[in-house]
Amino acid sequence: MKRLTVLLLLGFAFSLHAQDAIAVKVIKAVTEIMTPENMKSTGTQTITTSSGKERTFEFDSYSGNKGESTLTRYTKPAAIRGQAFLTLNSADDIWTYFPRTKRVRKLASHAKKQKVQGSDFTYEDMGGGDVFTTKFTPKYLGDEEKNGELCWVVELIGIEAENPPYPKIKLWARKTDYAPVFVDYFNEKDFNTKSLSLTAIQDIEGIPTAMKMEMVDHKERSKTRMETLEVTYKWEPPKGFFSERNLKK
Amino acid sequence: MKRAVLLFLFPLLILAQPEFFGYFESEASTMTIGSESYTYGFNKLRLDVEARPNDNVLIGANVNFQKYWGKTTWNVYDFIPGYQDLGLVMNFELQDTVLLDNMYMRVSLPFADITVGRQQISPGVGYAWNPTDIFNTKSLMDPSYEQTGVSAIRVEVPLTGRFTIDTVIDPEEDWESSTKQAWLNGGFGRFDLSVTMAEYTWYQFPLSTGTYDFGFKIDRVLTGLSLVGEVAGVGVWTEYATNTLEQNIYGYCPVCTDYLLLPLTSPFEEWVVGLDYTFESSLYVLGEFLHNGNGNAEKSDLTLNDYFMAFEGTTHSLMQDYAFLYIMHPTFDYTTLSAIVFANLNDNSGVFSPMIDWNAFEDTNLSLQGSFAWGEDDTEFGLQDMGLILTVTSNF
Repeated sequence: MKRLTVLLLLGFAFSLHAQDAIAVKVIKAVTEIMTPENMKSTGTQTITTSSGKERTFEFDSYSGNKGESTLTRYTKPAAIRGQAFLTLNSADDIWTYFPRTKRVRKLASHAKKQKVQGSDFTYEDMGGGDVFTTKFTPKYLGDEEKNGELCWVVELIGIEAENPPYPKIKLWARKTDYAPVFVDYFNEKDFNTKSLSLTAIQDIEGIPTAMKMEMVDHKERSKTRMETLEVTYKWEPPKGFFSERNLKK
Repeated sequence: MKRAVLLFLFPLLILAQPEFFGYFESEASTMTIGSESYTYGFNKLRLDVEARPNDNVLIGANVNFQKYWGKTTWNVYDFIPGYQDLGLVMNFELQDTVLLDNMYMRVSLPFADITVGRQQISPGVGYAWNPTDIFNTKSLMDPSYEQTGVSAIRVEVPLTGRFTIDTVIDPEEDWESSTKQAWLNGGFGRFDLSVTMAEYTWYQFPLSTGTYDFGFKIDRVLTGLSLVGEVAGVGVWTEYATNTLEQNIYGYCPVCTDYLLLPLTSPFEEWVVGLDYTFESSLYVLGEFLHNGNGNAEKSDLTLNDYFMAFEGTTHSLMQDYAFLYIMHPTFDYTTLSAIVFANLNDNSGVFSPMIDWNAFEDTNLSLQGSFAWGEDDTEFGLQDMGLILTVTSNF
């Protein structure tokens, strides 16, 4: 009987370990996909407010050093043309540039959780880097169909000491290539505050790329649709590209 | 020299397939001072042109067409406590203008960015005041409004990491009277640091009183620093400048054919400290404190010259100590409620200015800003009673 108990415990422990291994493997693969070495893209961002009003922005976006550094420059509409923001160290450092005053302003970390141009994406969402692997502990929850794809489901619990952007995240990554298709974000009260849906996934230069993303804010009842118009991962940032100097150009 | 640069840039701009953009702004204001009420405003068209002949060259320019309406002639003495009822007249007129505000070419080389021509230069980290900014003075009612261009040559040289050297020369007739400023910018951890030194002519303008013409000139050296970063998640910044006198003061009065002796201003220090924070509810709060050693601590010590310098923007403030508070909240869809409060802590006067800003259409904003002053009638802000500004801005 004792032997059976030990065997069962060992089996359970092994199963837990195997599940952890799956979770780690999935999150590592998802992070690989979401943080290519470099990226250059153009896209649109359409914000729909709770009352149904829409505003569309166009932007050029660049990321480097596996997503640790990003630079986004708005090209439309005219009212915000030229406004730009730079994030370094996975959005720990943020600078914004206002062309009307030609001023660069450094934002403190309280701004990381602020909406970018009133959208449902925060600065932290836009410049996340490898936060999934460094600021969370993953847990495999099973397999599930999402957005018409069979997916791994992984829960990410924030490591408090690492100051994670959200206390908990639930992620669906499709089993064929680990491309993330859906993400739920939770607050301290375990309330699902936002959901991100990633669709129109295309193979771009060997990397599965979601050409459409929609972030829904369940609290504000607003949503932001981001559509990638052009993207390449073969872009090499010139020296000093992710700098305050370049932000002003 | 400056004109030659502009003449050279203009045909280049036209030939380089430019993009056109800008905005139209219409502003209507009403203001009450004592028993008098005034209405005035302007219509402004800003037309920007930008061309990029290649990835490393940017040519930009903008022209401002501005037409005033309502009350366009103002008596300076109406705004100087103690002088309103003396029957003195020193008028200034808001004249319709067509201004080539900026016209510059920026060349990005691997070792430097060089910008020549008339360009906006906005140094410093302060929001309402910038002690290290010798080119601009901000309006406390709208500190984020664009600044006028400066004809200058600017060279920004990247060093290692986050460090750069930035140099601006605003050429005048001779090297001595030209404005020169340099910054060494860098960063460590969560902080950005900038040290600066400037040599500049501090005060040089013809002032017409209707009877008298004055001209003053003071050469100064400014040494300063800016620091911006965060402490416990709260944004903090400081900007400090010490100004030393390089030359003596002269002034000439052609009517009385005599040189005027003005009180010598001694070296002075000016600094700003500020902080900001955004709460989870998206409520944004910013506070700033200014100490300007060039200002007077006592209102009884104020002279006409102090007021003229403050009106002209030669000094960043009339008196010594000021506080500024800005609160903003995106309350409704595309509608922001905000309020600005600024106070002269020496004469206990101030202004409370609530504002509603509505992004009515994609590129069109409507804003309504009120101003309610407090303080005695002989104080800087207490002199005014209340005002209302309605602004419509449409970008294209």
